[in-house]
Amino acid sequence: MDKVDASAHYQGVTEDKPSLLVVVLDTNPFAWQSLHSELPLQTALSHILLFLNAHLSFSHANRVAVIASHTKSATFLYPNSAAAAETAETSVDLYRDANKYRLFASIERQVQSSMQRLLSSTAPESLAGTNETTMAGALSLALAYINRVCNADNLSDSGEGSGGGARPGEARADTASMTARILVVSVSGDLANQYVSVMNSIFAAQRQRVPIDICKIAGDTVFLQQASDSTNGIYMQLQHPSALLQYLLSCFMSDPSTRHHLIPPSQINVDFRAACFCHKRVVDIGFVCSICLSIFCSPPPGAICTTCNTKLDVSALGNYGGKPAVVLMKKKKIKKAKKVLNDSAADSSTPGTPVA
Amino acid sequence: MPRVNKGVLVECDPSIKAILLKIDQDAGHAYIIEDLDESTLVVKEQKLADLKHQLDAVLRKTSMQEREEESSGDDDGDF
Amino acid sequence: MAPSTIRGFDEYLQSLPPITFQRLYQQPATALAIFRRMLPSLAKIFVTTLLYNDRPIPLAELQSWVRTESYREREDAFSKLRRLHITQERAGNVSIDPIFKKNFRLALTGGGDHHSFGVPVDASDDRKKVSISTLDNYAANQFDCILHYMVEPSGQRQPNPGVKILLITSGLMKQSERGHQPKITQAGFSFILQEGNAQIWALLIQYLEMCESLQMEKTEVLHFLLMLGSLELGQAYSTATLTQTQIKVLADLKDYGVVYQRKSMPDRFYPTRLATTLTSDVTGLRSTAASFTQALVAAGPVAPPSEAAGESGFIIIETNYRVYAYTNNPLSIAILDLFCKLGSRFPNLVTAKLTRASIQRAIANGITADQIIDYLKVHAHPVMRKNVLILPPTVVDQIRLWQIEGERMKTTPGFLFKDFASEWDFQDTARYAEELGILAWKDSKRRLMFATRTEQIVDYLKRRGEQQAVGRKV
Repeated sequence: MDKVDASAHYQGVTEDKPSLLVVVLDTNPFAWQSLHSELPLQTALSHILLFLNAHLSFSHANRVAVIASHTKSATFLYPNSAAAAETAETSVDLYRDANKYRLFASIERQVQSSMQRLLSSTAPESLAGTNETTMAGALSLALAYINRVCNADNLSDSGEGSGGGARPGEARADTASMTARILVVSVSGDLANQYVSVMNSIFAAQRQRVPIDICKIAGDTVFLQQASDSTNGIYMQLQHPSALLQYLLSCFMSDPSTRHHLIPPSQINVDFRAACFCHKRVVDIGFVCSICLSIFCSPPPGAICTTCNTKLDVSALGNYGGKPAVVLMKKKKIKKAKKVLNDSAADSSTPGTPVA
Repeated sequence: MPRVNKGVLVECDPSIKAILLKIDQDAGHAYIIEDLDESTLVVKEQKLADLKHQLDAVLRKTSMQEREEESSGDDDGDF
Repeated sequence: MAPSTIRGFDEYLQSLPPITFQRLYQQPATALAIFRRMLPSLAKIFVTTLLYNDRPIPLAELQSWVRTESYREREDAFSKLRRLHITQERAGNVSIDPIFKKNFRLALTGGGDHHSFGVPVDASDDRKKVSISTLDNYAANQFDCILHYMVEPSGQRQPNPGVKILLITSGLMKQSERGHQPKITQAGFSFILQEGNAQIWALLIQYLEMCESLQMEKTEVLHFLLMLGSLELGQAYSTATLTQTQIKVLADLKDYGVVYQRKSMPDRFYPTRLATTLTSDVTGLRSTAASFTQALVAAGPVAPPSEAAGESGFIIIETNYRVYAYTNNPLSIAILDLFCKLGSRFPNLVTAKLTRASIQRAIANGITADQIIDYLKVHAHPVMRKNVLILPPTVVDQIRLWQIEGERMKTTPGFLFKDFASEWDFQDTARYAEELGILAWKDSKRRLMFATRTEQIVDYLKRRGEQQAVGRKV
């Protein structure tokens, strides 16, 4: 009937891609202890579970993973085969089960039980002498998992000869885009000791186009700000930690493909400082190896780069710390010379350029 | 306040539009609400299916010869 | 071609009166299914934002979250939410329908006493375990039986009378004379070419429309259908919490292969893959179709041989538009006849040719070029699959060209605005329509414009009129 009408082809079909959400939960006991009055870990966990459910309810094909970044290790809370086996054994009340979507229920059980195990396995003595969280490890786990999930989908799809109906040209682009994102729920501060590995994870995420969202409940780390900034993620410092759920649902809900349409929540000014490789100090100004770009807060001992063993010419540094040398150019007019003096060494205008 | 008319916006080539105008004229202006420009028209919604049918008939009539040639030249013999 | 059916179910839902929505949202599983299946992703974001907000949020604030370039998506999201009665707007503020809010929250958190996600039964006491491949086989058999019947009504395998009645009332088949076998209609042919999940939905919507005449409560049927989508494949569910109507529905769904029930165990049922993917999105379906095929291939000896061969691909297409189909399956041959010019038939081979006339005949019957291409691709012979591009690109392009050739116009339903009082009046209204993304065409010289929707513009004109009136008094 509609032989003469082309309208049907002009109605663009927007197909939402499924998306993988990896939540990295900072379980640093010290930080949660200090937060206890405002937001106990259990409450935070239940908020996060609800957030995961909301993500799963966006689409059937959506998937989640939860990783705990603990003091000395990073482990999967979900999917976790040990916890799955454990919860499968414990008989659940089937009748009560009917009030909950089964996927939600199984995730909740696994996360809760593996969380319990993680906390009970943390002996007080093992906490001595460390108050950091293994964020770099958790981020690496997350990226590895994302890579596996997205690539596994690719393989199986091409194996079936793209029988599902995608046009040949589209097929690859279509299957490769199970979009993924990482949400870091962070409570602890300084990560300077893991500077290099955290930065490497960030660059890996950037390459894979995986946005890293940061939900900062407490503490302050410059590197996580950089993580969200360079991967186009969202950085949010919570004003009211008790309203975690509301923050999660309204700011962190959008998957990468929906983000094209949204204006991201206001970003704070990103602190781009780096940590030195020698003392793990966050530095404003430092020394950089000319070969491998390693950062040092003071020239390395013996003027040999500790990373690449290059012999560095420290003499070039000359009188570092002294006043910048200003060389007056002989040919310049006196007026011009004054200008250069005023602007210190920064002005590099060539003779003849009009002074604006 | 402007006046509002319910209808269907039809975008087509000028040649097709000419055929549509002809059909409309022959039927005593039963289809078209407003002639907008050289390639757009507004048509009564309930008459759209009928109009499409008429257009298809006209097009078939004009392209008939070519189609006959095609089917006669079809080489079924070598199956 | 799933989008066409999503639209089908979409339209069906939107035709329901608000009171039905109120009843639908009573069940958390239904609220979840509608949220997942019906809303665009932007609308989902708005819902989650509002979900735990007790105060209404100004509409302008929600709108300001969206980039100005994406106003089309934004308007689409809001209009969907309104039409599904999920949001309410009062004095420029948006809030979520309280019933939807309560039950969607329940769906996310769990709890309550609604049993809307199905009551699982511990099936370990079953003598014979029902495996997933059994379910897949059952579903495929049942559904193929229906398709076979449509093509060959006098065939050996006859579906149950209920199915036959449904096929006739839905117009997929037509009873020409009394006592004679019904015949398949054009609508039926294009139905056969559709992709599996789309077919199921098409049947179920027909079923929903039929239940009104059968004195069945529509919302209960809808609840049940949407609940099926949230069940788990391979798990047995109890029939104890189902209503009388729903038990009747269950019996009918068994005939379509959507659920499986053993005669000796009437107190439990198993959803098949057809059921668990009911509320999936398009991407989910694609993999379903693939796994379905796999399951059938794996279950080769169990399934009738003709079907197994039919599913694994049998069509060879040459760049000169010749088609060789290694099949003797009447269903496959009938489908090929829809868009090919059949040549000769041998015991295990049919030769045919794609011609301009045959493709245009198919298109005139409501089959799209994409449907044809998809069908050929899915059923391509293993030899063809060795190529990077399964089908010869010349053939694929030509099929599309043949379709476009016949298309001489593009239609947009909507409203024509004319007789604007002044140039300013026209420009202002057109600008507003353009911002909303509903302006389809305008001519400033003749002060004519065409918009796809009218409510907002009429509202806007009224508001503007009032403001001007106030301004004049002052």
